[in-house]
Amino acid sequence: QTIDGPSVSWNLSTWGTKRAFTAGMEYVAAQVSEKTGGKFNIKLHYGEALSKARENFDGIKIGAFQAAMYCNFYHPGKNPASMVLTMPFLPLGDLEVSMHVREAVMAHPAYVKDMDNWNAMTYMSSLLPQYEFMGRGNPPQKLEDWKGLRVRAGGGLGTAMQKLGATLTTVPAPEVYTGVERGTMDAASFPYTYSHASYKLPEVSDWFTSNMSPGTTECGTVFNKDAYAKLPDQYKKLLMDLKAPAYQVQIKAYHDIDEKNLPAFRAKLKEVVYTDAQLDEFRKIAAKPVWDEWVAENKDKFDAQGLLDLVLAEAKKAAKK
Amino acid sequence: MDTKIRRPVTWTPQEEATGGRLIDRLDGFFHPIEKFVAFLSALCIFALMAVGVMQIVGRQVFGTPIFGYIDAVEMSISIFAFLAIAYCERLNGHVRMELVVGKMRGRPLWTLEIFGQIVALFVVAILIYYGWTHALRAYEYGDSTIDAQIPWWPSKMLVAFAFLTLWVRLWLNLIGYARLFINPDAAPIAVPLVADVKQMAEEEAAEAGALEQEKQNKGSAAS
Amino acid sequence: MTGLDNDTIGVIGVVCMLLLVLSGVRIYIAAAAVGLVGLVAMIGWDAGAGMIGTIPHSKAVSYTLSVLPMFILIGYLAFHAGITQSLFDAARKWFGFLPGGLAVASVFATAGFAAVSGASTATAAVFSRVAIPEMLAAGYSRRLAAGVVAAGGTLATLIPPSAILVIYAIIVEESVGRLLLAGFIPGVVSALIYALIILIWAKLDPKVGPAIKGYTWGDRIKALPGTAPVISVVLIIFTAMYLGWATPTEAGALGAFVVFIMALMQGMRYEALKDSLLETAKLTVMIFSLIWGVLIFVRFLGFAGLPEHFTQFITSLPFEPWVVMLFILLGYVILGMFMDAIGMLLLTLPVVYPAVMALGYDSIWFGIIVVKMAEVCLVTPPIGLNCFVVSAVRPDIPVASVFRGVGPFVIADFITVGVFLIWPEVITWLPNTMLN
Ligand code: NA
Ligand code: NA
Repeated sequence: QTIDGPSVSWNLSTWGTKRAFTAGMEYVAAQVSEKTGGKFNIKLHYGEALSKARENFDGIKIGAFQAAMYCNFYHPGKNPASMVLTMPFLPLGDLEVSMHVREAVMAHPAYVKDMDNWNAMTYMSSLLPQYEFMGRGNPPQKLEDWKGLRVRAGGGLGTAMQKLGATLTTVPAPEVYTGVERGTMDAASFPYTYSHASYKLPEVSDWFTSNMSPGTTECGTVFNKDAYAKLPDQYKKLLMDLKAPAYQVQIKAYHDIDEKNLPAFRAKLKEVVYTDAQLDEFRKIAAKPVWDEWVAENKDKFDAQGLLDLVLAEAKKAAKK
Repeated sequence: MDTKIRRPVTWTPQEEATGGRLIDRLDGFFHPIEKFVAFLSALCIFALMAVGVMQIVGRQVFGTPIFGYIDAVEMSISIFAFLAIAYCERLNGHVRMELVVGKMRGRPLWTLEIFGQIVALFVVAILIYYGWTHALRAYEYGDSTIDAQIPWWPSKMLVAFAFLTLWVRLWLNLIGYARLFINPDAAPIAVPLVADVKQMAEEEAAEAGALEQEKQNKGSAAS
Repeated sequence: MTGLDNDTIGVIGVVCMLLLVLSGVRIYIAAAAVGLVGLVAMIGWDAGAGMIGTIPHSKAVSYTLSVLPMFILIGYLAFHAGITQSLFDAARKWFGFLPGGLAVASVFATAGFAAVSGASTATAAVFSRVAIPEMLAAGYSRRLAAGVVAAGGTLATLIPPSAILVIYAIIVEESVGRLLLAGFIPGVVSALIYALIILIWAKLDPKVGPAIKGYTWGDRIKALPGTAPVISVVLIIFTAMYLGWATPTEAGALGAFVVFIMALMQGMRYEALKDSLLETAKLTVMIFSLIWGVLIFVRFLGFAGLPEHFTQFITSLPFEPWVVMLFILLGYVILGMFMDAIGMLLLTLPVVYPAVMALGYDSIWFGIIVVKMAEVCLVTPPIGLNCFVVSAVRPDIPVASVFRGVGPFVIADFITVGVFLIWPEVITWLPNTMLN
C-alpha cells in the first residue's frame, strides 16, 4: 500500500552518467517515489550539474542539495578516516563481505566524526569493486615482474606498488587509454571489471590481473543531516528499509557487468592469476608495511589502528557466513 | 610606467575642481598593486611553461615524472586564473557588449556605468565572503589534493583575495563614474573607458602592431 | 522559496541576463548576478550564495583548463619570433603565379600562422600590416586585399592551438585532444575554399588580383626554411599529444617554449617578454572569469531544469533533425552578429548542446560547426571585429569596403558549413582515425 505523507523533493548530486555505480541509488529513488505515490521524490542530477564531484561535501554542508554521492579519494583530507578502505590488499574481494565491512566502518566514531564536519550522514556505500591491473606488454606473472613497470595507482595502492618496485605515473583517467596505447604507461588499476571497460582499456591492452585484489576505495551516498531529520518518520523508515534491497541491486549490477565484460576480456587478453603463495608474498611486502605506515601517520588524529582492526575483524566475520 | 593608461601631466582647473586629481591619486596608488599582483600571475604562467617542459623531459627521457605535477598545476590555477582580475578590469579587458553603451554619451552613459559597478560590487562581495567561507571549510575540516595531498585552503583563499582586489577596483570605478555623473562635461579620469568597437579594434591592432614596431626599433638600434 | 515554479524562474533569469548584457554589464558579472539571484530564489540564501561561493574555485581548478594560458602564450610570443613575414614570403613565392595569387598566398600564410596563434583578431591585425601593403603595391583591389586578411584571420580558431575549441571541449566534457585534432582538416578545407573563391573572383575580374610571375624554383626552395618555426610547433604539439608523450597542457608548454626560444633568437628582450606574459595573464583571467561566471548562471539553469526541458522541446518538434540544425545555426548567425564568440558559446551550449545530442549529432562535429559559426560572425556586419581591425590598421580602407570585400568569403564560409553538414566525415575522420 502507499505510504502517505507530505510532498518532499530531494536533489542528489553526482557525476558521470547513469551506470552500474549509480544503480543502487537509482533503485532507491524509483522505489521511494513509487511507494509514496509520487509524494517523496529523489532526483539524481548527473554530470556534476549540481556540483563538482570533489565539492559535493561542501554542497551538503551548505544545504545546496539534500543528497550526494562521493568518492573518498577525490578529497582524502575531507574524510581521513575512510581512507582506511584504500589500504592495499584488504580482504574485500567478495562484494557481500565488502558490504558488511563498509557498513561497519561507516558506523565507526572516527568516520562519523568526519561526516559530521560536513553535516552529512552516510546512507549507503556504492560497494566499489576491488581494483585490478590491466596493461600492455609482458604480463607480470611473478612478483619481480612488477619492478620498473610504470603504473597508474593512487592512495595506499600506489604506495604498495612502489614497494614492489613499480614507478607511479599520474595522469587523468581519460588519458590512460592513450598512455597505455602509446606505451608511456604499462598498466593502470581500476575497479574491476567495471571501469576497465568504460575507459576502453581492453582495446589497447595485452593482459589483466583477476585475483590480485590489490585494493579498493570507498564511494557512497550521503544525506544532509538536517534534511534527513526533517523527514517524517514513515519516510525515514522507508529509506532505511530500502537499503538492503538496494545493496542487492548494486551487487547484481556489478555482477551483470562482469558477466558481460569477463568473456570479452578473456577472449582478447591474457589473464594473470596468482597462486596463494604468490599473493601471500605480495601481502607481506606491500600490505602490512603500508598499513602500519598509515596507522603511524594518523594515530594522533583518530583511532587509525582501531579502524584497521575493525576492517580485518569484520572481513573475517563476514567471510565465515 | 604603464603605456596603456594615460595620466594627465598638467591639470586643467576644471579637472582640479571636479576632484579629478584625487581620483587620479587613488588610482595611482592602487594600480601598481593590482599590476604587481597581475605580474605574479604572469610569472606563474611562465613557470607553468617551464615545469611542463621539465615534466615531458623528465618522463620521456629519464623515466622520472615529477610527483604530484597535476596537483601542483591545479593548485597554481588560482594564481594564473584569478590574480590578474583587477588589472584586467582596469584595462577594460573583461568582455561586455558595447552595442548600447557605445552609442551613449554623457549622463545616461554614466548612469548605466554606475549601475554596472553596483551590480558587480554586489556579486563580488558575495563571492569574497562565500569564497572565504569555502576556504575556511577546507582549512578547518581538511581538504587535500588526490596524489600529493597538498591542502587546498591556500589556493581557495587566494581566489577570495583576488576578488578583494577586484572589489577595490570596482569602488574606484564607482567613484570615477560618480564624478562624471555629477560633472558630465569633465574629462574621464581613472575609469575603464567605454571603447566603442572601432576603438577596441584600434587598440587590438596597436597591440599587435606596436609589438612588432618595438622589435624593429630595437633591431635597428642594435645594428 | 518563492511562489514561482522553477521553469518560470529559469525563463525570467534568461531574460534578466539578456537585459544586463545589453546594458553593458560585463558578461561574467551579469551571468554571475543572475545565477546568484536565481539560485537564492530557488534554494534559499545560505545554500544559494554558499554554492555560488564555491563555483569560481571549483570550476577553474581543473587540470584540463591549464592548457589555455599555454596556447595564449604561444600566440603572444609568436609575434616576436619573426614568423609572419617569412610565412608570407614563402606563400607568395609558391602561390603568387595563380590568378589573385597574393590573396591566395595571404590565405595560406594566415592558415600557417593559425598553427601558432589562436586569436582571430590578432592574426588579422598582423597580416593587415604584412600582406595588405604588398597586395596594394601589386595593384590588387582594396576590397580583395582587406577582405582576404579579415577572413583569413578567422582560421586561427579552427586550426589548433585554439582556446575556443578547448573551452567547447570542457563545457561538453569531450576530449580536448580529439577536438583540437578535429579542427585541423576543417581549417584546411576552409582555407582551400577561400583560395577557390579567390581564383574564381580573379578569373572573372582579372583586375582585382593580377598573378605575380617570375619566381624560380630556387626562390621557392629558399623560402621554405622560413616556415620551419610554424611546422616545428605544429609537429611538436601534435606528435607530443598523439604519441602520448604529453597531455595537452604539457604539449602547449613545449610549443610555447620552442616559440620562446625562437623569439629569444630573434632578439626579444625582457620588456617584450614581460609584456607578452602580462598580456597572456590578462587574456587568461578574462577567459577564466567568463568560464566561472557563466557556469554560475548554468548551475542556476541546471537547478531550474531548463536544459532538460529545452531538450524535450527540441526533440518533440515535428521536423527532421537537419531542419532543426539549420534553425539552430541560424540562431547562432543572429546571436553572433552582436556577441563575442566565447561568451556566445558559453551561454548557449549548456542549453543547446544536450538538445543537439538528443537529435543524434556527433559532439565533435557540432563543436567544429559551432566554432566555425562563431568565426563567421567576426566578419559579418554590424559588428565584425576582424573587419574593424583591418580598417584600424589601414585607415585608408573604410570599414564598409572591408565588409564588402569579405562578402565572397562569407559565401565561402556558408559553402564550407554546407560541406560539413553533408559530409560530416570531413570533421570526424582525422580524430577517429588517429584515436580509434
Ligand atoms: Na590556431
Ligand atoms: Na558579426
